[in-house]
Amino acid sequence: MRLRKLVLDVVVNYFEVFDLPRLLNIDPKALEKKFHALSRKHHPDYFSTAPIEQRELAVRMTALLNDAYRTLRHPVRRVEYLLNLEGYKPDGSKAPKSFLMDVFELNEQIEEAKAGRASEEQKTALRNEIERRAAQFDAEIRKASDEWDRLARDGREETQMKNQLMRMNEILSEASYIHNLKEELEAIG
Amino acid sequence: MSRIVGIDLGTTNSLVAITENGTPRVLPGPDGRNLVPSVIYFDENGGVLVGNAAKEKMIEKPRNTVFSIKRFMGKGLDDVRQDLPLLPFEISAESEHVIRVKVFGRDYTPPELSALILRELKRNAESALGEDISNAVVTVPAYFNDAQRQATKDAGRIAGLDVLRIVNEPTAASLAYGLQERRQGVIAVYDFGGGTFDISILKLSEGIFEVLATSGDTHLGGDDIDELLMRLVLKDLGAAPDVRGVQQIRKAVVGAKEDLSEREAAEIVVEELGLRRGVTRREFEALIDPIVERTLQPCRQALQDAGLKPSAVDEVVMVGGSTRIPFVRRRVQELFERIPHTELNPDEVVALGAAVQADILAGSKRDMLLLDVTPLSLGIETVGGVVSKIIPRNSTIPASATEMFTTFVDGQTNVKIHVLQGERELVKDCRSLANFDLKDIPPMPAGLPRIEVKFLIDADGILNVSAQEQRTGKYQSVQVKPTHGLTDEEIERMLLESFEYAEADIEARQVIEARNEAETVLRSTEKGVADEQYQALSEEEKAAINQAANRLREVMNSNDHGAIRNGIEQLSQSTQRLAELIMNAAIQKALKDKRVREIQ
Repeated sequence: MRLRKLVLDVVVNYFEVFDLPRLLNIDPKALEKKFHALSRKHHPDYFSTAPIEQRELAVRMTALLNDAYRTLRHPVRRVEYLLNLEGYKPDGSKAPKSFLMDVFELNEQIEEAKAGRASEEQKTALRNEIERRAAQFDAEIRKASDEWDRLARDGREETQMKNQLMRMNEILSEASYIHNLKEELEAIG
Repeated sequence: MSRIVGIDLGTTNSLVAITENGTPRVLPGPDGRNLVPSVIYFDENGGVLVGNAAKEKMIEKPRNTVFSIKRFMGKGLDDVRQDLPLLPFEISAESEHVIRVKVFGRDYTPPELSALILRELKRNAESALGEDISNAVVTVPAYFNDAQRQATKDAGRIAGLDVLRIVNEPTAASLAYGLQERRQGVIAVYDFGGGTFDISILKLSEGIFEVLATSGDTHLGGDDIDELLMRLVLKDLGAAPDVRGVQQIRKAVVGAKEDLSEREAAEIVVEELGLRRGVTRREFEALIDPIVERTLQPCRQALQDAGLKPSAVDEVVMVGGSTRIPFVRRRVQELFERIPHTELNPDEVVALGAAVQADILAGSKRDMLLLDVTPLSLGIETVGGVVSKIIPRNSTIPASATEMFTTFVDGQTNVKIHVLQGERELVKDCRSLANFDLKDIPPMPAGLPRIEVKFLIDADGILNVSAQEQRTGKYQSVQVKPTHGLTDEEIERMLLESFEYAEADIEARQVIEARNEAETVLRSTEKGVADEQYQALSEEEKAAINQAANRLREVMNSNDHGAIRNGIEQLSQSTQRLAELIMNAAIQKALKDKRVREIQ
């Protein structure tokens, strides 16, 4: 690692990078196509013999492009990013109590399974439960995303939009737990 | 600019290649051989041999013949303790953070030793092409962390090579493969070499080589198989042989291992030790099964990260000498449910791919583009020794992330930041990259300063950092202490001590380089001052730029390269905000241009 001065504070948001409206349903094929086209235009590989300013710009543009693609291609990160833009910050500690209790319980079962103290049936049941939860979460995200897009397209009034943002913020408070549970799937064996 | 070569700096062998008229080829050494063994021999008079000539000394002069140095790149003593018992050469006591090999009382770091190999390859390329070579693309294992990548770049610098790009070995292999076959679809590159293992899963479409996921183990390779066989033999022998004996056994087991790829049984023979032991293929396969299994786990992880089932992989490409082992091929075939490609020369394909990438960088090939990823998550230490991830593994590079920091007590002017790489939750389980000190924060009540720190992983997979205090707009000076790396001063010193240049030459060279850089910085300052964004600066800022530029013009004709560097640093500091404004405007413009064209 080396210290290098970087230019900070690019005031372009990820939707603008791809010239997209702030909507949550994004066609992955079309996004990928744009991503490839923009990469071909800006990638530092094509500027390695250019003057330093152009090389720097290529690195910065491509980093921005990659960050934007990484965020927008992912249905959950996309919602989180929109919330950040709108001034919300999903907070795992604000997840519903009953949900947290369930996760705690599941984590205990995962530890048991990892320590080899679970039967095959128990492991299968555990895997199924994690997958069910993950699917349920994905469905909620999809539904909330559709709702947001509908409101945004119809040009609804601010309170309705705000309520929807708060609703999404609530759903997203569960995101990191779901993510961690999914990561453990492999480890259960 | 001189031509760009592609270099595969391997654990066991290294190669140099070049692309001419769209076709890459390996450049042989003066002995006509393509492979340069990554072995360095030192004689008592300060002479150095690299490659085949050095390899011949491994048994005769075990204590001063260094090999497999790649395994030590970017490592400290704790990382390599398991290797020490079978090492014939001496490791210096001062190896806590950076391993140092001691030969004839002198310490050599892995970048210095690797530089000797790079210099040999550079010379080979120069004599094969009949021209000077100063630019290179160098490959590294995909799973190399920041320190290992930086160490490789440092090696290039010490060897007098400008490393234009660090490329991951499996990705380089895919370039050579894709060029040849014009493939589309998903491919997995299984790269099992002398010291490291990588798996990369890529999607090829219309000339874009996009890495979806990568995983691996930078301390798992043919060397580990050799060591298993060596331990087997040593156990039979009872009494431990001397280093010469150990090296003879090493050579004998490598021979037997290679024989077993062709035959059902082989013999490990060392006449001098009265050693003669048969090994059957069945016995060998049982012995190496745990090692091969250790390569399959990363394969499963990479598939999972890519969100793919094994059946979604269209082709499997085998790279690296250890993929010659039939058992390895069989296990890979079972996992991916298809017959892997073994028709490419596993020793040469990485160097050929590096030469293809060199051709892309040279601007001659615009139809191919490589989109690679960072193999490890980047994180920072937070309360309670927990790592907070800021750039996840398998993010396409360059990638960046921004974090906000503040102070805990009133008037605090320093904030410490600890940067790590790895997937685990706790600091102690991740790889420490560096500690930063954000210094000279304007004194304010606790919690009020807002220091924005920007992390950027560049196209080489190396981290860059900068910081700015938001309330004052002031850039912070950041002091980096790499945990397992060399400082700029150390590299500078190594350059001075390097074999090819006399001290006076080096100093003259440093002055010339500093002057060239000063000219570049002054030129871009002039451009900046002429830019419309200059008007947005305060009178104070403008005056600071003017003063720093004048000061640099004054010192740049002196013969004091330190003073010139100082002047460059001052000018860069004072133009930082201007550079930022210009860059932001350029990015906005680049995005707007795109829109205008789309509308048309």
